[in-house]
Amino acid sequence: MKRTLTVCPYCGTGCMLYLVSQGGRLVGVEPSSTHPVSRGSLCVKGWNAHAFVHHPDRLTSPLVREKGELRPATWDEAITVVVAGLKGVQDRHGSDALMFASSAKATNEENYLLMKLARRVFATNNIDHCARLCHSSTVTGLTDCFGSGAMTNSIACLDDTDLIFVIGSNTTEQHPLIGSRIMAAARRGARLIVADNRRIRLARHADLHLRHHNGSDVALLNSMMQVIISQGLTNLSFRERRTENYPLLAESVAEWTPERGAAVTGLTPGEIVDAARLFAGASSAMIIYAMGITQHSHGVDNVRCCANLALLTGNVGRNGAGVNPLRGQNNVQGGCDMGALPEYYSGYQSVGDPAIRQKFARYWGGSDLPATPGLPLTRAMDAALQGRIRGMFIMGENPLLSDPDQTHARLALEKLDFLVVQEIFLTETARLAHVVLPSACYAEKEGTFTSTERRVQLVRKVVEPPGEALADWQIISALARSAGCGGFSYDGPSEIMAEIAVLTPQYGGITYERLAPHGLQWPCSTPDDPGTPILHREQFTCGLGRFSPVTYRPPAELPDEEYPFVLTTGRTYCHWHTGTMTRRTHLLDREERAPFVEINPLDATRLGLREREPARVTSRRGSIIVAARISTIVPPGVLFIPFHFVEGAANLLTNNVLDPESSIPEFKICAVSVRREA
Amino acid sequence: MKALSDGQLLHFFKCLEKDWEVRLPVTLPDGTRTLGSLKDGPIALLGGSLPAKPTGAFFPQEEEIFRLSERELRLPLPPERPLFVAGFTSRDLASLLFIDRFFADDPKDDLYFRRRQSALVAAVTGWCGPGGSFIKMTSKGCDLELLRDERGWLLLSHSEAGRQATQELPEGDDPLRLERFVAASASQSNDDELLLSQAAELLRADLVPDSFWNEIGDRCILCTGCNLVCPTCTCFGIRDWRSASGVERIRMWDSCQLEGFMREAGGHNPLGSEALRSRRRIHHKLAADLMRWGEISCFLCGRCDATCPTGIGIVSVMKEMVARHGGPANQRSR
Amino acid sequence: MTTSPPSLYQPVPCDIVSVSDLTPDEKLFRVIRSDGAPLGHLPGQFLQISLPGWGEAPISVASSPTRGNSFELGVRRVGSLTSELHRRGAGKRIGIRGPFGRPFDLLFLGGQDLLLISGGCGLAPLRSLIQYCQDRAEEFGSVTILHGAKNPDHLLFKNEISSWESTARFACGLTVDDTAPGGCYDGNLGQVTSLIPPLQLDPLRTVAIIVGPPVMYRSVIHELERKGLHAGRIVVSLERQMQCGVGKCGHCSIEHLLCCKDGPVFLLSEIEHLRGAL
Repeated sequence: MKRTLTVCPYCGTGCMLYLVSQGGRLVGVEPSSTHPVSRGSLCVKGWNAHAFVHHPDRLTSPLVREKGELRPATWDEAITVVVAGLKGVQDRHGSDALMFASSAKATNEENYLLMKLARRVFATNNIDHCARLCHSSTVTGLTDCFGSGAMTNSIACLDDTDLIFVIGSNTTEQHPLIGSRIMAAARRGARLIVADNRRIRLARHADLHLRHHNGSDVALLNSMMQVIISQGLTNLSFRERRTENYPLLAESVAEWTPERGAAVTGLTPGEIVDAARLFAGASSAMIIYAMGITQHSHGVDNVRCCANLALLTGNVGRNGAGVNPLRGQNNVQGGCDMGALPEYYSGYQSVGDPAIRQKFARYWGGSDLPATPGLPLTRAMDAALQGRIRGMFIMGENPLLSDPDQTHARLALEKLDFLVVQEIFLTETARLAHVVLPSACYAEKEGTFTSTERRVQLVRKVVEPPGEALADWQIISALARSAGCGGFSYDGPSEIMAEIAVLTPQYGGITYERLAPHGLQWPCSTPDDPGTPILHREQFTCGLGRFSPVTYRPPAELPDEEYPFVLTTGRTYCHWHTGTMTRRTHLLDREERAPFVEINPLDATRLGLREREPARVTSRRGSIIVAARISTIVPPGVLFIPFHFVEGAANLLTNNVLDPESSIPEFKICAVSVRREA
Repeated sequence: MKALSDGQLLHFFKCLEKDWEVRLPVTLPDGTRTLGSLKDGPIALLGGSLPAKPTGAFFPQEEEIFRLSERELRLPLPPERPLFVAGFTSRDLASLLFIDRFFADDPKDDLYFRRRQSALVAAVTGWCGPGGSFIKMTSKGCDLELLRDERGWLLLSHSEAGRQATQELPEGDDPLRLERFVAASASQSNDDELLLSQAAELLRADLVPDSFWNEIGDRCILCTGCNLVCPTCTCFGIRDWRSASGVERIRMWDSCQLEGFMREAGGHNPLGSEALRSRRRIHHKLAADLMRWGEISCFLCGRCDATCPTGIGIVSVMKEMVARHGGPANQRSR
Repeated sequence: MTTSPPSLYQPVPCDIVSVSDLTPDEKLFRVIRSDGAPLGHLPGQFLQISLPGWGEAPISVASSPTRGNSFELGVRRVGSLTSELHRRGAGKRIGIRGPFGRPFDLLFLGGQDLLLISGGCGLAPLRSLIQYCQDRAEEFGSVTILHGAKNPDHLLFKNEISSWESTARFACGLTVDDTAPGGCYDGNLGQVTSLIPPLQLDPLRTVAIIVGPPVMYRSVIHELERKGLHAGRIVVSLERQMQCGVGKCGHCSIEHLLCCKDGPVFLLSEIEHLRGAL
């Protein structure tokens, strides 16, 4: 029996755990007792983090498509085919006909390398990853107000805060050890406001549960700010010392009286006033949000409103406060930090800045790097349909199931001249590929993940990858070498991290030696920098905190006679995204076996729908049949469907309309009809 | 009785490795204690009960049931060397005895006894609890007992196997030294024992309303940790994997807190609500096992309370239960 | 003679002798141990059907031990294992463990009038007892069989019912919840409970046995109590998600009882006070 300390591969909470192995096989999990987040606990996914790793469905050799079928191939052949395929597209259609999709499941080192591969070897900024689908609006919105797009505070701040405002986060299910810490805070006396129209578990413990209409967050938050300003509850000294642009904010929220807010949100004016007074009255208040804020066609506006509220009440830059976006994936923070983004290199250094470009070009060797920002993932699908993107390299993502409007995504991927998918299982997306490259999973390689609280932590190799599978970083290096590009020979991930540290100010002080045992929180710019648990303490990254006024826009698609229900999508506690890992984990799979739709009892009765009966849910884009789950968690008129299940794919229904600034899709609201399926 | 210094004890463990697979408390790189081998980290006999259940040495999180390849079925082999497991507190040993009985009950569970059969079990007691606190002596259920005081270790053998394993060790010469442990053990009282019997009585008399379990259920995030760390939790699930080379069937720790635990293929679920599942977790230990096995199967080891992220481990729940529903007024009103 | 395998969890190989359709969702499998040995079961017991790669599921034995070394299993297709079983035909191999569980108490039932009430696939385990009663008719009083199905297509053992009816002192009553439009069914309509009130029974020499879906028990028990039957003369066989069959896995517990060892056959008086039993 061997126990190896590593990071849980599921959510962004960043729990560390010990994988128990015996004879080269994983046989169990033990939590770390001393880690500041896990503290001897784990959620059900963490306790089962070992269970998918040796699944017989794992990919064990490269696959190359021949006569329409994927057949096993050697690495030499597969690498040659991939490089020739990508180069071919580049030669025929130019570098920007290629798209690289990186992965929030992969390590920092691997994200960095894929970003380097795209920019250095294939001369395109068309690189992105699934942060586009979850927190791209956070990066845009918070950078606008604070100068940095990350969670401002630390998870431990929950122990000291006076009030927690959870908006658009089902925390106990999606970040369970943060959710449970919120529950613990509420039990010790911290006030809890939950704004979510589903009656999530945290709502049962809240002082105030606001069930505002989906997509009316801007109205709710603007109205709360109107109350705070008009009742003189603003933190004046903070506003004067630390912020700018206040007059424009005051002007923009002035018309958002509680009555007007109530009319848009479906709340009562009293509820809005109560929320505003509670929030502004707290000596310290934390805003916690997730996909319920970001996944809207006005996601950036939602984020700005959260930031504005925190600035108005002086809740930034100190313990127990802050704007705290909870990052979904284990390493989605790192994916962003590493510059797997179309407009940034690692450390959010702009590709448009000639000095930055020169810095990277000089270090990487070679000629000029591309200057124009690339395409976001969500727009790349459109571009593929239009024939502007011809080749795509996807590492560890399953867009066929995770992108909005599945039909659209399938058509786009099928239209590509060349598709490479680097994966641990043959996912729905990998089945469409011309070449499939088998990769190592988190337990089979070294590297680092960066958690939602900016904590960079070591991932350790416990067992060998199956068959011929290789770590993503090894595959990317081999591709670069085969393409004839130098600068991709590394002894191991720690050497890649050393390069990252040189080029990335926030990671400047990070070395593998310093990361044991429980990591460092960036910014950590020098070898003796202890890291930064709380951002913006003395000043904001951009100097002054900038109020960023927001005009309310309704969601892109609202219910009508033909599609009278609001559909909102999300995840369940036991499954992770497209289920690639969790549906291959016995206990998790047993817990949620099949797709379902949550429907309020009043609606179900009206439609003659009984528990577990099949229901047909239809939108303008598609139709699925899922089992009815009758529940008061959703209010009347609202349906909820998780997006994990290929056999009842919520994303056949969702609306591929994007936020104009961040290009995040509106996963959280579209109009559907529902009926009993005979 | 043998008397050893820390160094002599370490030497003893090293010598044991020749014939035994030695598992004992060790400290892992980040300070987490676990049941490991000597090469996993420094010995950590001090500090009281381990976070993971020591009974996991015999009933691990996952274990193979069989492998089937090309029509040949292979059962797992017994361990190459018998297990020597040190680190049980008196409460852990009570738990071990309980699950020994459980798995031995006809028909006997051969998978469990494959590891348990010839294992040597060592208790660690005396002044070795958290912060040097005292852990009660015990002779029941162990072959050996390691007693800690400020001078080092005493070793007591409680079985013939224990005597044989320790016969080469130096004899202790100070009988008074042992008496201090006996006296300290006798004077140990535990308020939680009273709590346990009060809570069990409340459940037996059905005095805990469903509303209580609803509240507990509301506070449960279904991590399953309480079951997975519990030394008397024995529930398991079975899963098969089939591949080109055959079929592998294993069993793994399961949790009655999962909705799917009792759900039948047709959808019916006798434990179909959070409240029922929360009740089952506590009721099973305090009332059902008392009925079936004649003893309460919670031995107050404290692990579920330590791992529960929301503070509803069994001791916390018992405290709330007794405080809210255990008043004399309640009982009279029945 | 029957030998037991070296591990509690090792399945014994068996061969499927024949398969027939019972309903659109249910098939009857005739099975024999590959070593030809008798199963050694009693009516009311169950097996863990073991299909390596698909897991295991508890299935009641649907035939009487009085009918030779082979045995029968009535299996409804509900999950992945039962679907795989449905794909297997005569000559294919399956594994079993068992027989497990407490059978019907034949001593207690001896000399009594039996009222056997089933719904859906609950008739399969009762058939074991029915066949036993046919073969040992002298040991029992009258046998009344009441069975309810959701529609005529789902009535189990249709072609055997006439043989049961023609057995001396046997009587059958059938009912369905719904009829398919245009079907030729002309029998009773309604729940199986509706067949109880018209019965003439002596509550002091009748034992009722109920096997059916969970929703059925309470209403049937209610009707039986109105007939004067007390809980000591009502027998139920309960369905749970047994995973081991030998009292270890914990999935079938009912408070302090284990359905796989203490049941699945219980006297109502043993379990009526237990939470979640019915």
